Amino acid sequence: MPPLFELREVCFNYDGIAALRGLSLQITQGERVALLGANGSGKSTLLRILDGLHLPSQGVVSFEGVALTSECLEDDRFALPFRRRVALVFPNPDMQLFNPTVFDEVAFAPLQLQWPKEKVMAAVNQTLELMGISQLRDRPPYRLSSGEKKRVALASVIVLDPDVLLLDEPTATLDPRSQSQVIDLIQQWKGSSKTVVTATHQLEIVEDIADRICVLQAGNIAATGTPQEILNHHELLLQANLVHAHRHSHGAVTHSHPHIHTHSKHEH
Amino acid sequence: MHIPDGYLSPSTCAVLYAGAAAGWYSALKRLKRALLNRVIPLISVFAAFSFVVMMFNLPLPGGTTGHALGVTVAAIVLGPAGATLALSIAIAIQALFFGDGGISTLGANCFNMAIVGSLVAYVVYRLIAARAALTSRRRVVAAAIAGYLAVNAAALLAAIEFGIQPIFFHDASGTPLYAPYRLSVAIPAMMIGHLTFAGIAEAVIAAGVVAYLQVADPGLLRATSGLAQDASLESTELRPAAHSLRRLWIAIAVLMLLTPLGILAAGTAWGKWSPAQSPHAANRAPAVSAPVPMVPQGLQRLSKLWTAPFPAYAPAFVRSHSFGYLLSAVFGVGILLCLSLLAQSMVERYRRRGSSA
Amino acid sequence: MSGFLESTGMGFARAITQAMLSEKTARRRGLLQSLDPRVRVVGLFSLVLAVTLARRFAVVAALFAIAVLLALCSRVNLLTLVKRVWLVVLAFTGVIALPAIFVTPGRAIAAAGGVNITEQGLRTAALLVLRVETAVTFTTLLVLCTPWTEVLKALRALHLPKEAITMLAMTYRYVFLLVETTTQMFESRRSRRVGVLPAAEQRRMAARTAGVLLSKSMEMSNEVYLAMQSRGFRGEVNALSEFRMTMWDYAGLLAFLLTGGLAAWMGK
Repeated sequence: MPPLFELREVCFNYDGIAALRGLSLQITQGERVALLGANGSGKSTLLRILDGLHLPSQGVVSFEGVALTSECLEDDRFALPFRRRVALVFPNPDMQLFNPTVFDEVAFAPLQLQWPKEKVMAAVNQTLELMGISQLRDRPPYRLSSGEKKRVALASVIVLDPDVLLLDEPTATLDPRSQSQVIDLIQQWKGSSKTVVTATHQLEIVEDIADRICVLQAGNIAATGTPQEILNHHELLLQANLVHAHRHSHGAVTHSHPHIHTHSKHEH
Repeated sequence: MHIPDGYLSPSTCAVLYAGAAAGWYSALKRLKRALLNRVIPLISVFAAFSFVVMMFNLPLPGGTTGHALGVTVAAIVLGPAGATLALSIAIAIQALFFGDGGISTLGANCFNMAIVGSLVAYVVYRLIAARAALTSRRRVVAAAIAGYLAVNAAALLAAIEFGIQPIFFHDASGTPLYAPYRLSVAIPAMMIGHLTFAGIAEAVIAAGVVAYLQVADPGLLRATSGLAQDASLESTELRPAAHSLRRLWIAIAVLMLLTPLGILAAGTAWGKWSPAQSPHAANRAPAVSAPVPMVPQGLQRLSKLWTAPFPAYAPAFVRSHSFGYLLSAVFGVGILLCLSLLAQSMVERYRRRGSSA
Repeated sequence: MSGFLESTGMGFARAITQAMLSEKTARRRGLLQSLDPRVRVVGLFSLVLAVTLARRFAVVAALFAIAVLLALCSRVNLLTLVKRVWLVVLAFTGVIALPAIFVTPGRAIAAAGGVNITEQGLRTAALLVLRVETAVTFTTLLVLCTPWTEVLKALRALHLPKEAITMLAMTYRYVFLLVETTTQMFESRRSRRVGVLPAAEQRRMAARTAGVLLSKSMEMSNEVYLAMQSRGFRGEVNALSEFRMTMWDYAGLLAFLLTGGLAAWMGK
């Protein structure tokens, strides 16, 4: 099956600092991929490149075989369907909630894509129901808890029924219950035709949300594999700054144990 | 400095709305040349920033407190067009939502603070900072002076708007219908508060923020720095071309020169509005009215300097203290600008001589 | 005297409570709340205009009475108006208007401490204060009885430029976020020191707070722009306009305009 996304030798600079250095990657439709990396490894940048928000300074990124360039992103015939089909959720929901009320926020994207009024209303109401936030529809963002904000942020992109979901640190800063709600949502998409790419540094959730892991380090992909493979590769995780090592000493001898938590280690 | 409803007559409000609309239109046109949709979140966030800064209650020397406008920082980071819009939005929200400033006077407030304030702040900053390095102390000083002058320019405009109300808008018995104080009282009353408190507050914030940015985020100072831009950096393209800067400066200078002439012309053309010729006895308060005791002696003497040379047949309006104070204020600002230009060119010459040695 | 942190903090708190108060009052079922928001905006603004046009004290007083009547019919707590609006305006404008009693030339009717009190002086001071009180009451009624988002939608429906409305909406939203951020900065400072700082130090802190706030603001605006683009924003802001005029609304509009027109005409 031809890849949905294809990146070839992509480089990207931010204010003179190289965020991506010659990165190549392919993502097929229906895959659930996790981009695992510490802060500064380039995973956020990669997601934004996939969403066409930044253009690579070198290399090519293409969606369904079409290279993403400024020309095609300015052409409504390509851009409008692209924006509907590919959705990005930002790590900080406050950046994504810029409308006066929750309802307006969820309605923003459909309105920008010029859907007819009835379709917008129906889609918004349906999505609010789905995410369990109908009672928040008239609330302004400053009166939402962080978990509620996250759900609104998710709702604001799910309303489009996108084919590709790009999630940037979806569970960071959330309390445990909200975290598990988000993870449940991602798990719902397993086996559907939806493609999910999640960027995270939290090892404990990757098994639940991904079938393939790409470890990012210093702007490039250090390794790919299944969750089992990657999570057992302690050296790699240590190098990529995804785990920390405890050191304790017995007399003159010092041990170093990598310290990770994974669900697969639980006994039931 | 936000003027509430009721202080300005409808015609004054209308004229100032027209002036503000012209300012908004030209700001939008300049920004449309760049990417307007890029600028919408930028302006909004900056407007929110100004709004919050206006709420800071700064302790000032002498145990008082004052509020800054944030217009100088806006002009330095966004340029005058962006600053105009950002401040206008902040002022609109204050008026609509907090009742701080009126609806009929929204045009006036935007004209004074957002349009003229931004322009003065930007021009003075550019003049004094010239081509100094982004992190030089000179820029901090330039920001302070720009802020001080911008706030006082806005206050002066407001004072003039107040001061002409009782002259033109009163009922048959002579009762002023809107702001009740003539120029001779309005100008000193407004200016004293701003020359001291508000001006200093703005200078403190402007200098402080520029100093902070020089360390934390100098890129934000680049857009209005007059220095060559790094082509690879994403610029918001809010920096106007050098030739339009000169146009702004010339416009300000011309406006200042024309102001006394304008008042003179108004006095001549509308001679029958002069109180001395008013039919009603109660209105015939002496045109050269005794100033209220709070006017400082120096200002009185200075005003006589301007008004004394005018011949006896000039309208009494012109020979009044009000006109004298107005001229003093205008020329004062003009002198400051000329002095800074002079100082700047002297420093340039000195530096060139030093580097060629 | 309270320092910079305390007094500014109080200013913030006042802003937030104002917002919350508006939401509460807007939900009550009163006269103003029952009218189409566009009618409210046009009507109340035209009454403000009438206040400015009227030249007779009696007419302005009548308009003030109408304002009080509207407040009562719209279930606005008069005590709130007294505390938040009338006393405040009296304090500020009263102080400004007081010297006019002595300074305005005209027919002297009393003497106080060697200076004359003129009839014209009394009239102009009273007129000014009453004008300001009435106008601010009308504006406050609009904001108390109408959620901010509807005020903006009404302005949009009245053909204010789309970009201006978008900016007003986003600015309002971000004011609260910045207030929250600044409050957090203040709180962390307060917990790290004992006693009141000297004024110069407070000024420095204020400037530094403003600087940090500015950097965060700029960063925020970048992120927000990307988030908007990601959901299809291309410069055109589309909004749902859901207002429909009923007979009641037309009647209300007529009443407003007639009152305003009458006041302006009679006030000559």
